[in-house]
Order: sequence, then C-alpha cells, then structure tokens
Amino acid sequence: MSLTLNRWRFYVTPERVLSVCFIVLLAYLVVVPLFMMVKETFIVHPLERFQIPGSKVNDFTLAHWYRFFISESAYTFFYRPLVNTLIISFGLSFLALLIGGAMAWLVVRTDMPLKETISNWAVVPYILPSWTLALAWISLFKNDRIGGEKGIVSALTGFEPPDWFAYGLFPITITLALHYFPFAFLLIGGALRNIDAQLEESASLVGAGRLAIIRRITIPLIVPSIMAAFLLSFARGLGTFGTPAFLGGPVREFVLSTSLYGNLIGQRPGLGYLAALVMIVIGMLVLYMDHRMVGARKSFVTVAGKGARLGLIELGRWRWALAGFILFFLFSVIVVPLVALAIDTVMLIPGVYSWENLTLHYWIGEASYSIGLGTGEAGILKNPQILSALKNTFSLAFVVAVVTCLMGILVGYAIVKRRGTFISKCLDQISFLPYLIPSIALGATLLAMFAVPRGPIPSLHGSFLLLVIVCSISALPYAVKAGISAMRQIGGELEEAALMAGAGWWTRMRKIIVPIQKSTYFAGMLLPFISVTRELSLVILLVTPTTQLATTISLLFTDRGWYPYTNGIVFILTVVVVGCTVLSRRVMGTSLAKGLGG
Amino acid sequence: MKLTQIRSRLATCLAASVCMLFATHSGAEDWSKIEAAAKQEGKLLVYSTTSRTAKAAKAFSKSTGIAVEVVRLKEQELITRSYQEAQSGVHKVDMVVGEDWPAARELLNNTGYFVNYIPPTAKKLFAKKHQNPLVLGYINRVFGYNTEKHPNGDPLKSVWDLTTDEYKGRVMIRDVAITGEHQNALTEWVRRSSDLEAAYKKRFGKSLEMTEANAGLEFIKRLLQNDAIIMTSDTKIAAAVGAKGQEKPPYGMFYVYSKHRDIKKKDLALSDSRQIDPTLGYMYPIVLQLSANAPNPNAAKMFMEYLGTIEGFAPWAKSPGVYTPNPNQIPFDGDMPLAWWEERMWLYDLDYAAANRGNVLDVWLKYAQR
Repeated sequence: MSLTLNRWRFYVTPERVLSVCFIVLLAYLVVVPLFMMVKETFIVHPLERFQIPGSKVNDFTLAHWYRFFISESAYTFFYRPLVNTLIISFGLSFLALLIGGAMAWLVVRTDMPLKETISNWAVVPYILPSWTLALAWISLFKNDRIGGEKGIVSALTGFEPPDWFAYGLFPITITLALHYFPFAFLLIGGALRNIDAQLEESASLVGAGRLAIIRRITIPLIVPSIMAAFLLSFARGLGTFGTPAFLGGPVREFVLSTSLYGNLIGQRPGLGYLAALVMIVIGMLVLYMDHRMVGARKSFVTVAGKGARLGLIELGRWRWALAGFILFFLFSVIVVPLVALAIDTVMLIPGVYSWENLTLHYWIGEASYSIGLGTGEAGILKNPQILSALKNTFSLAFVVAVVTCLMGILVGYAIVKRRGTFISKCLDQISFLPYLIPSIALGATLLAMFAVPRGPIPSLHGSFLLLVIVCSISALPYAVKAGISAMRQIGGELEEAALMAGAGWWTRMRKIIVPIQKSTYFAGMLLPFISVTRELSLVILLVTPTTQLATTISLLFTDRGWYPYTNGIVFILTVVVVGCTVLSRRVMGTSLAKGLGG
Repeated sequence: MKLTQIRSRLATCLAASVCMLFATHSGAEDWSKIEAAAKQEGKLLVYSTTSRTAKAAKAFSKSTGIAVEVVRLKEQELITRSYQEAQSGVHKVDMVVGEDWPAARELLNNTGYFVNYIPPTAKKLFAKKHQNPLVLGYINRVFGYNTEKHPNGDPLKSVWDLTTDEYKGRVMIRDVAITGEHQNALTEWVRRSSDLEAAYKKRFGKSLEMTEANAGLEFIKRLLQNDAIIMTSDTKIAAAVGAKGQEKPPYGMFYVYSKHRDIKKKDLALSDSRQIDPTLGYMYPIVLQLSANAPNPNAAKMFMEYLGTIEGFAPWAKSPGVYTPNPNQIPFDGDMPLAWWEERMWLYDLDYAAANRGNVLDVWLKYAQR
C-alpha cells in the first residue's frame, strides 16, 4: 500500500502536474485557433468563389494552396515578400541583439555611471508605438519623392537622401531594431546579472583577456537569453505590418504581412491565412534552431549553490564617454519622437509650428466645433470616454501582466525541469505559438470560440474577462521565454538542498526560485504590460462600449486626422508605463535595480 | 457664415415639415407603433465605420430619449465582427453603418444575418437606387494637384496622363491592397474598359495597345510601371500634394475629397481635378443595415429614419465630401450636390465588383511588387 503511494508520489511531481495542466489549457486556447486557421485555407469563402471556377461557398478546395505556392501569382503573393521579410527579420534581430546586448553588458558588468537612468530609459523605445520611429525617420530623411514639407535633413543641408536610405528595407530594419532592442536589453541584462563571477574570475586568473572572456565565457552562458531575445524580435519582424507598409510603400517593397492584410481586406481569407501560416512555420523553425543550439548543451547553470558577487569591470576613462554616448543614443530614439508627439498635442492646427498656434485645447479644452480642428470632442483630460478607456487599458495591462507572469514562472519551471522530454518540447513550442499567430487572426478565432457557451464555459462575449484571456494568451510568450531563461540558469542543487531540508514545492518556489530570478521574471512581466497598452488588432473585435481601450478609442481620432488626440493618448500611455516601471523597481527593492543596473 | 447658418436652418425646417407631412398622410399608424415600441426597448447598439455616427446618436438621444451606444470599427473589422457574432448566435448589435458593401453584402446580407430596412423619409425622398441598400451618404474620392505648381488650373485632362513620363514617380495612391473600396472602384474601370480605351484615343489620338486583358487592368499596370508612390493614408496624400513651396509636388489619386476641408486650416495649395476624363474619381456608399436578430429593432428603425433626415445627417453635412441622398440637403459651402458628382464620377456596379475585385487585386499585387 505505502509502496504504491510512494511510487505515485514519485510520478506525480509538481512539474509533471503543471506540464499536463498547461498542455491541456494551451491546447484549447492556442492549438484550436491554429487549427481553425488551417481549416480556413482549405475552404471557399464568399468572395473567393468568383476566382475559383465552379465553386460554392464552404466547398473544400486546394486552390488557395495552389495559387499561393505554385501559380504564376505565387511570386507576388509569397516568394518576393518572403525574401524581403527574411531580410528585415534577420537584420533587425541581429541589430537589436547588438544594441540591447551591448547596453545590457555595460549596465550590468561595468562601472559605467548613470546606470539607473539608462536602464529606466532603455525600455522606452518599446513602449512607444513603432510608428513613432517610422514617422520620425520620414520627417528626418524624406526626400522630394513623397512631396509635402521638406525633410529636416534636406531642409537643413540641401542634400536629398537617396531613396534606398529614406524608404524601404533599410529604414524598416533600422527603425524596427530601434524599437525591439529592449527585448535583448531586458532578457540579456537579467541573465548577465546571474552569472557566477567565479567563472570569469578564474578565466581571468589563467590569463584570458577581457574580449576572450566575453567571447568564451560570458556569451556562451547567456546563449539562452540571447536566443530568446532573438526569437522575440525575429518573430515580431515577421508579423509587423504598420512600419513596413508605411516605409516600404513609397518604394514599393512589400513583406508577407502585406500579403496577409491585403488578402484579408480583399476578403480572401484563404490566401491571407496562408501568409500567416508561413510566418508561423518560419517562427517555429527559428524556435527549433533555438532548441538545437541550447538543447545540445543540456545545461547552462549559472546560479549554483555558492555564488560569488560580481566584480564590475572598470572602464577607466571610457566610463563617462560610453555613458554619454548611450544617453545620446537613447535621447535620439526616445526624446526626439516623444517631444515630437508632445508638440503635436499643443498645436491648434497640426503641422503649423508657430507660437500663435500653441494651445492646451486638446488637453483641457471644452468640446467645440469651431476651435482648431473643430472636432466636437472635449480635451483628453476632460473627456470621460478617453479617461475611462485609459483606465480600462491600465487595469487590463496590470491584470494580464500578473496572470502571464505567474504562468510564465510555472510553465518555465515545468519546461526546464523536464528538459529533454517530449512534453517539455511540446509545452515550449505551444506556449510560443501565440506570438506567431497574427493578432487579427487570433482575435477572430477567439471571438468565435468564446462568444457562445461551450461546455462549462459560459459566453464571455463583451466581458472584461475575455479581454484578459486573449491578451494573456498573446502576451504569454514573453513571460514564458523569461521564465525559461530564468529557470535554465538555476542549478538543480539549490532545489535539491531545500528538498532535503524538507521544504515543499510551494516553499521552494517562494523562497528560492522566484527571489533569485526576480529581475528576469520582472522583465517577463513588464513586456506583457507594455504590449497590452498598445494592443489594437487583437482586441478590436472584442471590445464593447464599456470595455473600450485607449487604442480602440484613438481610432476615432486617427482616421479623421485628429492627431493631437491620438498623440496625446500615446503620450499618456508612455509616461504612465515609464512611471510604473521606475516605481515598481523602487518598490520591489534594490536587488531588482541591480539586476538591470543602477 | 451667417448665410450658411440660415440656409441650413431653413433646410432643417423644410425637412421637418416634409417629414410631418409624410407622417400624417401614409403609413402613419405603422410608424407610430414603431415609435411606441422603441420607447419600450433598451439601449441601441450600433457598429459604425464613421465616427460621426456617435455625434448623430447624441443628438438623436437628446430628442427621443432613446439611448445609443456606437462602437467604431474599420470596414473589414465591422464585417468580420458582425459576421462572427451572428454566426455564433450572439445577437447584441442592432444595426450597422458600414462601408465596402460588395463584401458586406456577401457576408452579412446574403447570409440573412442583416436585412435592409427603408424608413419613411428614405422611402418618400430618396431615389430608388439609394434605398436598397439604404444609403446614409456617399463618399467621393478624387484626383488632386498642387495649385502653386499649376496656377493656371487643372493640368489633368485624362486619367491616362498619369501613366505618361511627365508623371513618372509623381502619382500617389493609397495602397489598393489594403483599401477594399479602391479594389471595388477599379473593377468599374475594368467593366468600363471601352470608355477607358476611348478616353485614351481622345487624349493621344491613337488606340491603346494592351498586354493586359482589358483597358482597366492595363491602366493599373501602366500606373504602377510609371513608378506610382504607394501610401497608407489619405491625410498624408492630401498634405503632400498640397504643401506649399514644392518644386515637383506629387499628384493625388483617389484620396477622399473630404480632406479638402483642411485646406484653409493647414494652408494647403490643393485642388481637385474637375476635368479629368473619363471620371473625376469614384463614389461609394455608406450603408445602413438592420440586424435580423436585433434586440431593439424598433429603436434601430427610428435611428435609421433619423439619419435620413436633414437633422440626422447634420454631423456629415458640416464638411465637404459626404452626400446624403436626401434631395433637400443643401450642399456644404463650395461643394456640389450629390447629383452633380453622380454625373461625373463612376459608381461601381455591386455584382461586378464582388465578382471581379479578386482579379483587380491580383493585377495590382503583381505590378506593385518591384
């Protein structure tokens, strides 16, 4: 009797229970939507029937696959955009790793001054919507090809930047890298902090140079986080639509997401979802690469039982120069776009920059049809609709951040503890999938799934809970990636020791795992928080008047060219998110601040 | 300013009296029943692609006491959401104010999820062709040029001008791939290929030589091969074309005419072509549809009725570029009435658009990609 019980105990470990629970949950929330998408690529949709001779709506068809991959249109639908997409994705991920990694290393491992400022500001580029950088690029470098007001460079110097520099793949790659490098900064920063300094010190003792140490010891140790950051930015490069459309259009360079949106808007979901599936498959390949590279070495324990405190590398006379350089860099990618946004909110007539045109109307003005743009909307701070939407956005972001963070810790734990097993691989792949599913497709399928009661689940249509669910699913990959890279660094002996001392699973998590990896988990919480504040296409199909979010409400203003409102809302979002970041670091204690510098 | 005010007041009075006249004469019983039933119903939920619906709703609530919620969605989102909800059996929305009717009709109307409803004023005053589907108003999209560069007026004689060397790399258009209405509009260019061919001959004195199947597709090809600039926003096109102090300003194709309301405010040198042959651009309808399972059908009918009146249309009448089929509407100062534009602009054929926009999109994508 007791033997069976013991055996039972042996099998039913927390990580096994967790794996099974999460597999079931994610299978329902992620695999079902994916399956529905695949199904769409095999059926005839209403408007598609005209292009598929002799077909009726809902017929089974292979025509989409044929047209997308084989027919004479395949080059335009698929192959050419694929090449552009890959160029952008690889380019931006390498660049983002370089920028984010270098900054993380300087902040965590050297005696560079102003660390806290730098690490607080380094996440802001991701908080700002990616189009702000695209917009800034255009206002700086545009030439007379797209007319209108002169670009700043051309106005100041008289030099017209060439087309390849002003538009197309080059600026798309650069602006996206500048937008996504915070991934690398946060994840690599978290990992660097946890490297056992003994490793580097011993290398130094046997005579290895500084560069050799970085190359041979530091980098290999942080490979999991490098890969995680690479994956996150790479996958975003695959799916981003706004920036490529905006910067690529003038020189007519298109990407897969153009193919996706074009076909969805053209009411050809069969072709559209095929484009989405291609993106998902590419993402899975990169994820597989990650497994091969990281999995092959089995273990990357950097936090062992006896850790030594890190010795900071002295930069000597370079310390201020480097800090200055980074601050200047951050200044140009943050302050410039942010100030540009802010200025646009206090100009009565957009684009007319004169003192007489200065106003606070769009912030605190009463509704008016005659002042400025004559929008008939009250200023942002007096507009009940906008204020309630902002409140919804922040509540949602907070709840989702907490939910995904908890899930990230648990899923990461389950995956790493069972490393090498089939279940672990499955869980890893599935939990990353939502990141690869274009949000518009995810939103549509989840709407269909939760609109009506199914089994024990009541209809969640129009509820706040539904928003929490979809946003949590889409933000989960951030948290899981953070959870995995955090767990990979923790040596088994820590938990084993606690286990011997009789600590239960709950105590081990609470007293050992979570405290050690606080900073990485925090990074994994911050990213969902930020991404929810900006979510639009995912939630647009799900919000109701009472659950309006800041982004959905700013649609009202964007389309009519009422940029002062849109920009003001973005400005508020940015300021609040930065504020939260700084505040929570303070509240959560110094160890965290050290984790990401300062 | 004053004159406009007086005129619009006059129009309102006129419309009101027409309505009253109507209400007392025919179908009065039915309508008063609807009104009575509407008062018993709950809050009306409307999905709308135009943000001005919310303003009309506010005024409507004030005068009738019926509360209205308006959710603003983009064209495709409105169609997808209404379709998905209806399909899943979620019946919360009462009516939609939508665009891209060829697509919406396939998914919403042909499926029986939404139905057309013709309220009294529309039945009485709107021309038949604007009743099914019931049209809230038409939006027009035009060709525009910079008036500083062309002080002597309109440089564009024919749409084919845009495919000549003079306009190489100078024509701006919102990406057809992401603009459903552009796709619909260009099917009309395919349908009226012979008109386009004639326009070519008229302009250049020789027949059009084609490699594509017809003149419409040939135009798309030549436009793109002439290095057209693809943009993502009509606002930016209007601003780029109209900005002052440019040596080689671009030309705008198919941007919404309502952007001209900003000419004074933004100090633009912008005008639209009124002589370009064979069409000044295109028009498309904003359509009203009633949910077949509306929780508040009577309130929805009342709101639809209201939107057809001069008073209800007021939020759209405050600027150029949107035209109600209500013949009593006085056009915005400096703008032309619907009938004037209808004569000079192509309105696409619904069936033809639904059947052919896929081909148009294919050809666009083919040549847009360099």
